[in-house]
Amino acid sequence: MQLKKSLHAKKTTPVKKPLQGKKPLHVKKPKSISGALATATCALLGTHLPHPAAASEPFKNWEYDSALLYYSEQDRVTAVEPVISARNDMGNDQFLNFKFVVDALSGASANGAVPADKTQTFSGPSGQKSYSVAPNETPLDPTFEDTRFAANVLWEKPTSRYLKALLGANFSTETDYTSLGVSATFTYDANNKNTTLSAGASFSHDTVSPIGGAPDPFTEVPTSSTSGGENEGDDDGEGGEGEGGETKNVTDLLFGVTQVLSRHTLTQFNYSIGQSSGYLTDPYKLLTVVDPVTGDLVPAVDPNNTYRYLHERRPDSRTRQSVYWKTNHQFTDDVVYLTYRYYWDDWDVKSHTVDLRYRYELGRHHYLQPHARYYQQTAANFYRYYLVDGEPLPQYASADYRLGDMTTTTFGLLYGAELGKNSEFTFRAEYMKQSNQGYPADAIGKLRDYNLSPDVKAIILQASYNVKF
Amino acid sequence: MDTPQLIPQLTPQLQFSEDYCIGRFNAMASPCEVLMDTQDPVLAGQLAGIAQREALRVEHKLSRYRQDNIIHKINHAQGAAVKVDEETAQMLDYAAQCYALSDGRFDITSGVLREAWTFDGSDRIPAPARIKKILSRIGWHKVHWRPPKIRMPKDMQIDLGGIGKEYSVDHTVLLLREAAAISCLVNFGGDIATTGPRRNGNGWIIGIETPDASPATLNANTKVYELQHGGLATSGDARRYLLKDGVRYSHILDPRTGWPVQGAPRSVTVIAGTCTEAGIMATLAMLHGDQAEAFLDQQGVKYWTIRA
Repeated sequence: MQLKKSLHAKKTTPVKKPLQGKKPLHVKKPKSISGALATATCALLGTHLPHPAAASEPFKNWEYDSALLYYSEQDRVTAVEPVISARNDMGNDQFLNFKFVVDALSGASANGAVPADKTQTFSGPSGQKSYSVAPNETPLDPTFEDTRFAANVLWEKPTSRYLKALLGANFSTETDYTSLGVSATFTYDANNKNTTLSAGASFSHDTVSPIGGAPDPFTEVPTSSTSGGENEGDDDGEGGEGEGGETKNVTDLLFGVTQVLSRHTLTQFNYSIGQSSGYLTDPYKLLTVVDPVTGDLVPAVDPNNTYRYLHERRPDSRTRQSVYWKTNHQFTDDVVYLTYRYYWDDWDVKSHTVDLRYRYELGRHHYLQPHARYYQQTAANFYRYYLVDGEPLPQYASADYRLGDMTTTTFGLLYGAELGKNSEFTFRAEYMKQSNQGYPADAIGKLRDYNLSPDVKAIILQASYNVKF
Repeated sequence: MDTPQLIPQLTPQLQFSEDYCIGRFNAMASPCEVLMDTQDPVLAGQLAGIAQREALRVEHKLSRYRQDNIIHKINHAQGAAVKVDEETAQMLDYAAQCYALSDGRFDITSGVLREAWTFDGSDRIPAPARIKKILSRIGWHKVHWRPPKIRMPKDMQIDLGGIGKEYSVDHTVLLLREAAAISCLVNFGGDIATTGPRRNGNGWIIGIETPDASPATLNANTKVYELQHGGLATSGDARRYLLKDGVRYSHILDPRTGWPVQGAPRSVTVIAGTCTEAGIMATLAMLHGDQAEAFLDQQGVKYWTIRA
């Protein structure tokens, strides 16, 4: 503090003639020399010395992270996602983090219908663009295109020596979806900082405004632009617009403990429980109604439509729980990161995720990090490949492959290079293969010949650059 | 700097503690260490190397036992002017200001008193006449210092050892701060400074030994201080003293009299904005003898003194 003040003071210290005593002098009343001494020390060590001053100058020390992610599924969705985040050291161990994400998605995604030996025609979500699917092909909706913007801000503030608060807010928007959320997490250091306890809560309120209005569950899907546009517009335009879109509330609680096991090993255990309620249905997913014997498409009830497809229906609440365990261990140079997560919810989806990364130091500030991930999921209890004509409708049904049995394996490699003292560049390439249960044992008739949920393969490329000012 | 370390270890020894890393080496006749708030062995090795090189550089430059440095050149100029480099010039400027601010108590020309005084616990008190003779060769005001040239009478000597170690601690802190954005604590033989608070927001915990504390009693007799910013230095007479006729002569010599200061504390530890300031404050406090605490109170610095 003294240094900071004296930094701007002029370096004028009068050189006084010293006392030339020959015998022990009578000690005079001491005087304060600390200010002049601080000035002199500043001159000795250079003016950029006083670091405490930097702490009191907020919005000066920034760290930026930028990344560009490219995700491309074979024959399906392609996403380009630039991310920019900034972290500001406000001093006094307070940090302000900002993050902006743009997600540009385009391509085709499975609409839930099963393949058939006939050409199938669907109207797009807008009710205007329609698309046809050739015989024996998996119906993919090629009109899928959206851009999402997301922003979030996080404030880290120590409230005492041991307690830290992290308060966040986030917002994201895309054509038919808006999300607003807040979060608060508290961490408590115990046991001489070898143990950190954390507890957090987050809440988000989402609004879904499907193009053309939210369709009523289990109603027939229009299959041509003329029929669909009118039909859907009449049915849902009023309902959807009148309510200003469907809403969904998501609440999550997280409890965690992080423990330093040794000077090279750290482990973390989290438990989280979350509840989603409201509109959880995907307005663009549908189910094919098939003939109970042949597995063929059945004619639509509405004469304007070709075949009978129904909008899906999901429960309006979902309770999710998960346990997560992470261990980092450092060898002499290299570091291994291992995580395991077990997830379960009241839709009967259960999943295991094992993720392994190994940071291999190449020396000279370069490293390679191989990555392997294994994910295995069981289907939601209302997941089905199709509905059967003549059978009573189940309470809920969805043919969204993301709710089906699934195994995903990912292999990748990351290369990182520290460029100078304050910046780092990384490049990541990964290959992901999602294997679904495409040939259910109880498939009806000719559906036995089709893969009802083909594998999805994707490549992921990401370049990122981090710089500190 | 009493016993030069001529063959230093080439690389610092690294030791990993719970959540930081310690690099150790010897320099300036003292055990030196750097505590780094990282577990990254590569980074820790680099930072400890920076600290070691800096300590050895300053030792090499300021040691009065070497014959190839600027101090030797100045001390053996036989009355001729010597042009000094910028860093030495800054240190001489600093010494000049400390001389003025301390009314002559801090004097880099006082080293020749060592010819008469040897603080080995014995009773060999020099004759007053001898001290008187040596005093004629002491006094910064007799030195002609016009930066960048210094000229002094041929029988005089300067010794920057009184600020060299503290200076190298602060200079190391500057270098570490430039090299990485992690918190480090630099400790060269008890002269300490930090680059700033640690990741967890805390400072570094420093045990301040009492003069008689042994490692076994460290916990009982140690004061603990958490250093978040700035520096800390200790000046003490430790076991360096003379004892004659029941009078203890501390090794703190007043350059104005040539005799030990009376009534000085056994040790003074000061916290200040930099290690260099803390070191000067502690030295000056000792030179104030029984007025040490009064002097320190006047400076408004945090300090501890120990009196036997």
